[in-house]
Amino acid sequence: MTEYEAIIGLETHIQLNTTTKIFCSCKADSWNDPPNTNICPVCTGMPGVLPVLNRAAVEKGVLLAAAMHSELRPISYFDRKNYFYPDLPKGYQISQYDQSLAFGGWMDVPVPASAGKTAYVRRVNIQKLHLEEDAGKTKNVGNRRWIDFNRCGVPLIEMVTAPDLRSADEAAQYLIRLRQLLRWLGVSEADMEKGHLRCDANVSIRPKGAEYLNPKTEIKNVNSIDAVREAIATEIERQVREMEAGRRIEAWTLEWDEDAGVLRKMRSKETEADYRYFREPDLLPLRLDEEWKQSILVQMPELPLERRARFIEQYALPEYDADILTGERSLSEYFEAAVKAFGGDPKKVSNYLMNDVLRMLNESGKNAAELRLTPAYLAQILQLAEKGTINTTTAKSLLQKVEESGEAPQVIVEREGLARVSDESAIRAVCQQVLAANPKEVESYRAGKTTLLGWFVGQVMRQMGGKADPNLARRLLEEMLNQS
Amino acid sequence: MELCDLPAYELSLLLRRKQVSALEITQSCLQRIEKVDGRPGQLDDGKADPQDEEKVHAFITLTKKRALAQANAIDRKLAAGEDPGPLAGIPFTVKDIFCVRGTPSTAGSRILANFVAPYTATPVERMEAAGAVLLGKVNLDEFTYGSSNESTAFQPAPRNPWNPACVPGGSSGGSAASVAAGEAPLSLGTDTAGSIRQPAAFCGVVGVKPTYGRVSRYGLIAFGSSLDCPGPLARNVVDAALMLQTIAGLDPRDSTTANLPVPDYLAALEEGVRGLRIGLSPDYFQITFPDPQTGEYRQQELPAEIEARVRYAAEVLASLGAEIIEDVPMPNTRYGIPAYFVISRVEAASNLHRYDGVKYGYRTPQPVSDLREMYRKTRNEGFGLQPKLRILMGMYVSAAQYSAQYYRRALRVRTLIRRDFDQAFDPQGKYRLHALLTPTTPTTAFEMGAVYGDSVLMQYADQLTVPANHAGVPGVSLPFGLDENRLPIGVQLLGPDFSEAVLLRIARALEQATESEPWRKLKPQVLRNLAG
Repeated sequence: MTEYEAIIGLETHIQLNTTTKIFCSCKADSWNDPPNTNICPVCTGMPGVLPVLNRAAVEKGVLLAAAMHSELRPISYFDRKNYFYPDLPKGYQISQYDQSLAFGGWMDVPVPASAGKTAYVRRVNIQKLHLEEDAGKTKNVGNRRWIDFNRCGVPLIEMVTAPDLRSADEAAQYLIRLRQLLRWLGVSEADMEKGHLRCDANVSIRPKGAEYLNPKTEIKNVNSIDAVREAIATEIERQVREMEAGRRIEAWTLEWDEDAGVLRKMRSKETEADYRYFREPDLLPLRLDEEWKQSILVQMPELPLERRARFIEQYALPEYDADILTGERSLSEYFEAAVKAFGGDPKKVSNYLMNDVLRMLNESGKNAAELRLTPAYLAQILQLAEKGTINTTTAKSLLQKVEESGEAPQVIVEREGLARVSDESAIRAVCQQVLAANPKEVESYRAGKTTLLGWFVGQVMRQMGGKADPNLARRLLEEMLNQS
Repeated sequence: MELCDLPAYELSLLLRRKQVSALEITQSCLQRIEKVDGRPGQLDDGKADPQDEEKVHAFITLTKKRALAQANAIDRKLAAGEDPGPLAGIPFTVKDIFCVRGTPSTAGSRILANFVAPYTATPVERMEAAGAVLLGKVNLDEFTYGSSNESTAFQPAPRNPWNPACVPGGSSGGSAASVAAGEAPLSLGTDTAGSIRQPAAFCGVVGVKPTYGRVSRYGLIAFGSSLDCPGPLARNVVDAALMLQTIAGLDPRDSTTANLPVPDYLAALEEGVRGLRIGLSPDYFQITFPDPQTGEYRQQELPAEIEARVRYAAEVLASLGAEIIEDVPMPNTRYGIPAYFVISRVEAASNLHRYDGVKYGYRTPQPVSDLREMYRKTRNEGFGLQPKLRILMGMYVSAAQYSAQYYRRALRVRTLIRRDFDQAFDPQGKYRLHALLTPTTPTTAFEMGAVYGDSVLMQYADQLTVPANHAGVPGVSLPFGLDENRLPIGVQLLGPDFSEAVLLRIARALEQATESEPWRKLKPQVLRNLAG
């Protein structure tokens, strides 16, 4: 049987999280808003209106382009893409065509190890990156069409990869890394379920090692990363079956039915539509002068994959820790701030984050920057534990107390008397009390049941509210029991 | 002399001296409209009335109530000692290609006949903020596509007040006719290939096409977006300057407006022309047009009386101290119309996409089986012949397989036309002109029906005006005599970007120097009839 490889390219539409739309001052995000409430003459294409470019959309586009290693054009242009559709109120979409904001670019996507394969990195090249406006939404109800113009004019980046992906998993990994990057840069909420990140997949297969490309199909309407993975895998299997059966792959457009887990044919791909692109005369050329560009690029953070590599090297973290800690920008920043404030072993900070702080974040729905348990407080708790002022149990409960009250750990420790008692005379006194109060157990111990030592330690700890240094208590008890 | 025949600046003076009220001025205009305008343009024009042929028919929508209310408000402000604005109490008409909140904004088309605009165009907003009183919306060629006003879906079409058997020109024909007939001292028009200057010339009024970007297009229902310019029509140069002063300037809602201060157009108006270099070009004394039978290009001299008036204007300017530079080459003038044919139609076809029966305007009342049929029927029934021709041509020349031959080639021609102007106006160049003096039109007003139907020939009416639209430079047309049929002849001044102040100054000098000439005393025929 021939071995096949899949050739996959992804076309993504990224909704930028600007406050207002790209060409008017309507609110951009209409999630949960009733239809046709965030609209105005401009975004509904009234006669005589004109677009005015939102600079914030350009700035977010520039950040993303730079993060994708794309080349930014000092002068780019907007063009009209002409076609008729009821939810496209002007009858053309303002987009960028041959001279878009940026060109080229790539992302190195780490692909984790899986059954029989070691981890590797896939370089995904970017073919197209441009700014455009979104269209509205059409809903068919019976034989009527309901149109919601809220989404008209919402700023989008269209980004198209080269056919560089070779499996459904790789496609999913690319989207995971893209989503991470978009959130990291703060340019998009990147929520696929809410349509902030939309993805169409072009899929074809060929015998492994072949150089040519077979006709591809386009998969639309995939609303989650899992669905992308599943839809592509399903389509690859179908194409292999077809080819094995000696049939040709037709250039269909397919729609993923998530509930049924099947692909449905939407239409046979017609010849390429002629959109009659021409320069948008209502907008001036977009000049990204050096000054503006630099003022945008100074906001460029270290990127997630770079930071991941640095964490591994600089802090000697396991890859697993580094991956989780750089999963989200504020968490990674939290980690570094805590490491710096702590001054001790970074792995200890990582352990606290991965076990306790992450659970706290998951339960509260906050991000790391929103915690009242600041990196400085976490570092203080770690220091208290390291110095032996508090024991581990106290440290863990202290995390929660600081988060709840927002008070400094030291303040809570002092007020509640949580500091570990390592004053030998104080512990000795309690030990004597415990031994005096439990003559039977003392007798049993001395008769050889030395396992009771732990029980005595427990009694001491209880009397001292858990603050006694347990090792010291153990040593003193042993001393006293073995004495007489 | 009735109030409605006085220039805006005089009315303004009388008003401030409390010699007249804004209400009196507005009423005077409304009475004039009542007498000369006849029935307004309507979609279903019913039986032709023989009386129609004697009337001006400038209006589609008369906003009488609104006008009276605005005039009363001005009078109240004046009485209260408040500043009612620089154009307080001055009535004006608006070409029905501008959106004005609460008024039908039809573009002269069936497809927008029921469209009531939800917002007001920037130039209209600025007029109203300055205290000007909106009288109503005036007729035009459908979507401004024409040079005669005959293509409007709202019939009867406007007629030329100088001779109602003739067209007023277009597409700002209703604007020019309303000003010429004394229905309003000012009108707001648009100029895409000459649509302000050509009807101004035909109707014997002053028309200004400002530099592209000088006046906001926000609210102007687009034709050729890279060519469209709103501008004033008035009965004299001072009034035109006054109005331009009000509407010009940066608009945050139109990103193609220039971020340059607006000079004081009135301050320098009387400073004369001494030392100015004014050019004449042989390329503006002939037209090149395709023979209607053979399609071959022919060259034709302009009518002698038109050329004579331009040369006379040059003599007047020379006598006032200007330097006249002859034989300035403008070799690409002849390509203005073919390039315009392509560029304007590509933009027009795209601009017309939004009229699809979905959101506003006309939708076919017939049953339809699907969306495509709804689009087809709506657009077929809603658009008249001129928009349809522009859509067909525009779609053709912008199609992927033809775009290089037509659209992109036309854009290169446009660059060449711009270069002609750059060379003529270059302060370090050979000619160093402050302005070019040309005829505005190759003919005076033609008779209704004489050209209509030949959309190619009709277009050639704009041959001498369209280069300024390609180049984006400003132009002024001013009346400068009458032909043997007592029809107005216009002369045109073209200048470099943002030279409106200089052009208006030259125009004012020409106007003043010929103030006492007998033709200036003659009134349009519809007004002569009134007196008689």
